Amino acid sequence: MKKMLTLLLSAGLVATATQAMSSPKEDLAHFRTYFEQRFPGIQLNEFGNGPYALDASKRLQWESMEEFPPYEEYVDKGREIWETPFKNGKSFASCFGKDASKVRPKYPHWDKASSKVVTLEGDINKCLKANGEKPFGWKKGKIAHLGAFLGYEARGQKTNVVVPNDPKALQAYEDGKHFFYAKRGQLNMACADCHVYYAGQRIRGNVLSAALGHTTHFPVYRAKWAKKGKGDGLGTLHRRYGGCNKQVRARPFKAQGKEYRNLEFFHTYMSNGLEINAPGYRE
Amino acid sequence: MKKLIAAFGLALFITGCNATTPDKPASKQAQYEAALKNAQAAVDKAASVGGEWRDIRWKKSKKKYLPSAIEAAKAGDYDKALKLLDIVQFQAEAGYKQAMAQKNAGPRF
Ligand code: HEC
Repeated sequence: MKKMLTLLLSAGLVATATQAMSSPKEDLAHFRTYFEQRFPGIQLNEFGNGPYALDASKRLQWESMEEFPPYEEYVDKGREIWETPFKNGKSFASCFGKDASKVRPKYPHWDKASSKVVTLEGDINKCLKANGEKPFGWKKGKIAHLGAFLGYEARGQKTNVVVPNDPKALQAYEDGKHFFYAKRGQLNMACADCHVYYAGQRIRGNVLSAALGHTTHFPVYRAKWAKKGKGDGLGTLHRRYGGCNKQVRARPFKAQGKEYRNLEFFHTYMSNGLEINAPGYRE
Repeated sequence: MKKLIAAFGLALFITGCNATTPDKPASKQAQYEAALKNAQAAVDKAASVGGEWRDIRWKKSKKKYLPSAIEAAKAGDYDKALKLLDIVQFQAEAGYKQAMAQKNAGPRF
């Protein structure tokens, strides 16, 4: 009897373990299907427009903003940063290659040598340091300007994150996935609560965007981030992660720390196949 | 002369303060020190599993319960410090429990 119990128990455990370890491919299929069924009238790429894909009145405001997009000047600034040589005469092209349109679609990716998820921002600062330059701040300013330019150049190309079949890479993906689905903070809410289960609903004047397509338009220009003391409007994905953690009264993690890099790995993978449309405008 | 008066006044003030403080503070202080140690350990434990909440000590929090408690104690207000540490203790333990409860969190679809 005891044996039987252990057997049953371990079988149950194995079953839950394999369920938790469904492959990234399966995860992606389920994720996609969920949103397709939830919002049957919305085409895949439209999800990259966040709340404006889900709410008609918000969409009208947004379309009028996009006529003279406030992020344009930062795309130009980013271009300047890209083209301006370092003190040693080299430039970002020496790290990323000459074709600026090919940079953004490579990120984030798994780096086997360092066993880490590498982000665009991480490589921007790595490049600066390797060339004897001072690294940029992680969340706004120059790093976001350069990101906006590289995103703009890559518009129309598809998100294509690869999770290699390597236990460490899969673990990073699983960690990111867990971060996304785990409730946290005093308000006890997960990313998924707001951006999966409650997507499309209103919360304090906001319409909750779907997590599908969440990453395609970053860095983003937010009217809120252009207010006094907040910066020039532009911010990176990890800045947004911090904001969403704070909202549920959880202590935000460090931008470009392991937690957010792994989250970005999972989160971006979930938007595979969607077009890059960075930089975006949001309220 | 003026200096002397000032010094005298200060001395009076200090003794005056001493006179009005009952003999309780020593024990309140000990209570505070023990509570602080416990709270700090609980916060570290929550942080070690990524379960720390926003208002415990994060630099941009408007509440910062833990640093505020330490400040209150420095100013001699042990009652306030203990009240704040109570919140810290609760939030740290709750954050840890939450992280444990969410260990197997995943999609529900
Ligand atoms: C309490 C609800 C809530 C939770 C929980 C939450 N967010 Fe958000 N999030 C919002 C709101 C509100 C906005 C602004 C409106 C929108 O775009 O959805 C937002 C915006 C975003 C955006 C920008 C979308 C865009 O189109 O620009 C991203 C990305 C994002 N959240 C990611 C996350 C991640 C990752 C988590 C978990 C760490 C998370 N959010 C948790 C409420 C939440």
